Amino acid sequence: MSKQVTLTIDGKQITVPDGTLVADAAKLAGIDIPVFCHHPKLEPVGMCRMCLVEIGRPMFDRATGQIVMENGQPKIQFMPKLETACTNPVSEGMVVLTQTAKAKEGQKGTVEFLLTSHPLDCPICDKGGECPLQNLTMEHGPGKSRFIYDEKLHLDKQVPLGELIWLDRERCIQCARCIRFQDEIAGEAVLGFDERGRNTQIVSLSDPGFDSVFSGNTTDICPVGALTTADFRFGARPWELKAQASICTQCPVGCNTTLNTRREAKAGGDIVIKRVMPRQNEEVNEIWLCDKGRFAHHYVGSKKRLARPQIRKDEKLARASWDAATKLAAENFSASKKDFVILASGRLANEDLFNLKSLADHAGGRAILYSDMGGGDLTALVGVGAGTNLGKLGEGDAILVVASDLYEEAPIWYLRVKQAADRGAALIVANPRETKLDKFAKFSIRYSYGDEVKAVNDFGKKSKISDEFAKAKNAIVFFGSEGLGLNGTSAVASACADLLKETGHIGRASNGLIGVWQRANDQGAWEVGLQPEEDLAKALKGKAVYIVGTDPVGDDPKLAKALEGAEFVAVQDILETATTEIADVVLPAQAFSEREGTFTSGERRVQRFYAAVPPTGDSKPDFVITSMIAKQMNIVLEGTSVSVVFDILANSIEAFTDLSYAKLAEVRPQWPIVGRGDVYYGGTTYENKHGLGVQLVPAAQVGGTVRIPKVKKEAVLRPKEKELLAVPVNKLYDRGVTVSPAELLDERVGEATVSLHPEAAERLGVEAGARVKISFDGVSGEAVVKIDDTISAGVALVPRSMGIAIKEPVAAKVK
Amino acid sequence: MLLEKYPKEVKQILSKYPPEHKRSAVMPLLYLAQREEGYVNKAAMQDIAQLLDVTETEVASIVGFYTLYHDEKAGKYRMQVCTDLPCALRGADEFLNNLCANLGVKVGETTEDGLVTIESVMCLAACDKAPMFQTQGPDGIKYHENMTVDRTMELIEALKKVKE
Repeated sequence: MSKQVTLTIDGKQITVPDGTLVADAAKLAGIDIPVFCHHPKLEPVGMCRMCLVEIGRPMFDRATGQIVMENGQPKIQFMPKLETACTNPVSEGMVVLTQTAKAKEGQKGTVEFLLTSHPLDCPICDKGGECPLQNLTMEHGPGKSRFIYDEKLHLDKQVPLGELIWLDRERCIQCARCIRFQDEIAGEAVLGFDERGRNTQIVSLSDPGFDSVFSGNTTDICPVGALTTADFRFGARPWELKAQASICTQCPVGCNTTLNTRREAKAGGDIVIKRVMPRQNEEVNEIWLCDKGRFAHHYVGSKKRLARPQIRKDEKLARASWDAATKLAAENFSASKKDFVILASGRLANEDLFNLKSLADHAGGRAILYSDMGGGDLTALVGVGAGTNLGKLGEGDAILVVASDLYEEAPIWYLRVKQAADRGAALIVANPRETKLDKFAKFSIRYSYGDEVKAVNDFGKKSKISDEFAKAKNAIVFFGSEGLGLNGTSAVASACADLLKETGHIGRASNGLIGVWQRANDQGAWEVGLQPEEDLAKALKGKAVYIVGTDPVGDDPKLAKALEGAEFVAVQDILETATTEIADVVLPAQAFSEREGTFTSGERRVQRFYAAVPPTGDSKPDFVITSMIAKQMNIVLEGTSVSVVFDILANSIEAFTDLSYAKLAEVRPQWPIVGRGDVYYGGTTYENKHGLGVQLVPAAQVGGTVRIPKVKKEAVLRPKEKELLAVPVNKLYDRGVTVSPAELLDERVGEATVSLHPEAAERLGVEAGARVKISFDGVSGEAVVKIDDTISAGVALVPRSMGIAIKEPVAAKVK
Repeated sequence: MLLEKYPKEVKQILSKYPPEHKRSAVMPLLYLAQREEGYVNKAAMQDIAQLLDVTETEVASIVGFYTLYHDEKAGKYRMQVCTDLPCALRGADEFLNNLCANLGVKVGETTEDGLVTIESVMCLAACDKAPMFQTQGPDGIKYHENMTVDRTMELIEALKKVKE
């Protein structure tokens, strides 16, 4: 434990770690010193002068070096001027006065200065109601300004910094929190100050404007209404909003969120989600949220939501009762016996997946996870130990990222890994092309697509990099699906697990394997026993198929063909998709925002989400629909209470033993303190009152010998002449069903691309921006050429979920 | 490209800073970029950003902060007249007005031949020799003190004759 320092603030004695800033120490003591530029997650700058206080320190006798005593107490010497509480670290015996006439005068004066050009247009400002400047003006403001009203400088009020974030120049008080967040935390300095003095303004010259997937966070920490999101601006007043705790469904990080909802005339009197805000969980997302999580929520309110059960009659889908629809499905499933197949995705909650697996087991069918990534059995075995916190990694620790572009696949992990590297952790990035994380890596390893396993196995040889990894106090490996399909990822996961085992980095907190899954709850699906299938088309053909939460027909023409030949297709989803169009029965499910449940994150943290809006139409939660079908098949599955399903799950799956909804809802005090009335301190992030979740204990932490199953990797494809090795890469803003309904993100989603090495482009006679046709294995699609000189000349990178069905490396023709 | 245009100068500037602090070279590089056209264009900012491994926004904010960097094209010479209080007491305002009237331009505008842009600036630390201004042009920055409109017009005539 670091050295502790005791000081007195407004007569209250408090002991805090050495190095704590006075403003933070006061916060810990329950004393709010007003701040604007200071933010507990950012480096101190002392530029707004709001936190002026009187600071005194014990007086030392220069001759003896002893503390001068006065009436038996150390004599305190106060500085002649006020000091900033946000830049001064505490020292032993310090005395801080925040409420004296002198301190108050300083704070009042600062507010008066800040308001010289601030428009005070609170009635039309989105921040009104949760605005630090508004609150501090009420509390500390002088009431009347000595400045001439007509001399207020009027500046542009609607300046787009990009299409997602808007700047109101005259509201900005130049605290630079946004600039500093982008520079220090996100590592993307795409915001800056232009001009000086009263003309100072925030600018972004990147292309596209404000080019960062973390941009929304600047609106949370902006202490005024200068930065607002295009999604929420002019959308609602903060005090009209209800708040409900939730979990982001966009990636395996499992960011804790708060859904702000309101009943709205525009939505026909329905209660709708107005915005998604981060909810503090220092072990998961801290107080941040990426823009995909913040802006892509519109799919749950999409016009394409399924509202009623439907049955195919005379080639057309017609409305049916729940009873008829589930009965029809049940009859067909029962009749098929062993030819009954469930295809479910990691978009579903643990409880849904558990009921589906139980149904398959009882009915003698099979439950398959819809995913082209393997290794979930290994993360259950040697996943990160309970108590893992990326925020605690630093000097002496190592993080290896293999075959994953965390910035695109799991932005908050990128952010936290980057910060661990800033704190001194040795970051090793092994990827065939340069990714944004390379900039912060101590070592970058470049291998050719296809050599992933070899790259990991090379850690067994002696080298500077393998030494650093082996000797690290703690080591975590992230593995992803860049350039890999199911077989490739399984092989890489196995190689990574071996590496961790060999170097003794398993079975402890902050050590182990993390899968960068493609969906939020893929890990949960593996935990309850679902696994992906190598030849999915074959597994579906001629079967009675129950498809839940996924769109194989829209994704892949081969699967569409296989399903054409299926015996019977029941589709359960929240949205109309290409798959619901071919279904014999359509079962409308509730979105995550309409019901309760739990997800298991990539770090194997089980977290609860809560119902925030009423269900769409007659839709029901997935686990309920499954139990209704089961009942018609004479199988008893819990279908009324989600927490009871969880209890049954916890009783039957070892890793979940002792977990319950009550346990998942437990909270502990967190630092920094955010989300209270004093939003100026930490921003508008919500305080966590609904549960921090519980991390599962991996088998390796329980004890006993750990045997890692070997996976044989298929030989690397060698494309013929005139062919390229097309490999899948992952893109944050893709055309997935959970993204496209958010029109706001259209520009960032863009068109399908294919990245080529300059040489390959030259050989094909195409330039950047050219439109080409890419075809392989019965699949073909159009894409726009991008040039990337960090890849090899023989490959073509094709992003997943952008309209071209690529699951694994394939030989492709590009024309 | 800056590097292609001034390879020697760029190399020399970069050599002054340790590689891990190469971003410190931003100011001399901006002067270099500004040398020819009197302003830093967007392409040059991109160049510098790439050379120094910083973002274009960071380069632009330095151009924006310092008054001697410009991001818009102006006349070949910028004539920057100080009009702060001590200079005004010595007739700087009147001087500026008369000069503008004589040239047929307003403050901030450029003469028709593109030779001079008249600007009004803050303190240049020569209060006792006002009216005064500095010229910023291809030959660098020069002070002109105790000026009258006539002497300024003579200077402009002389500048016209300067060949590149």
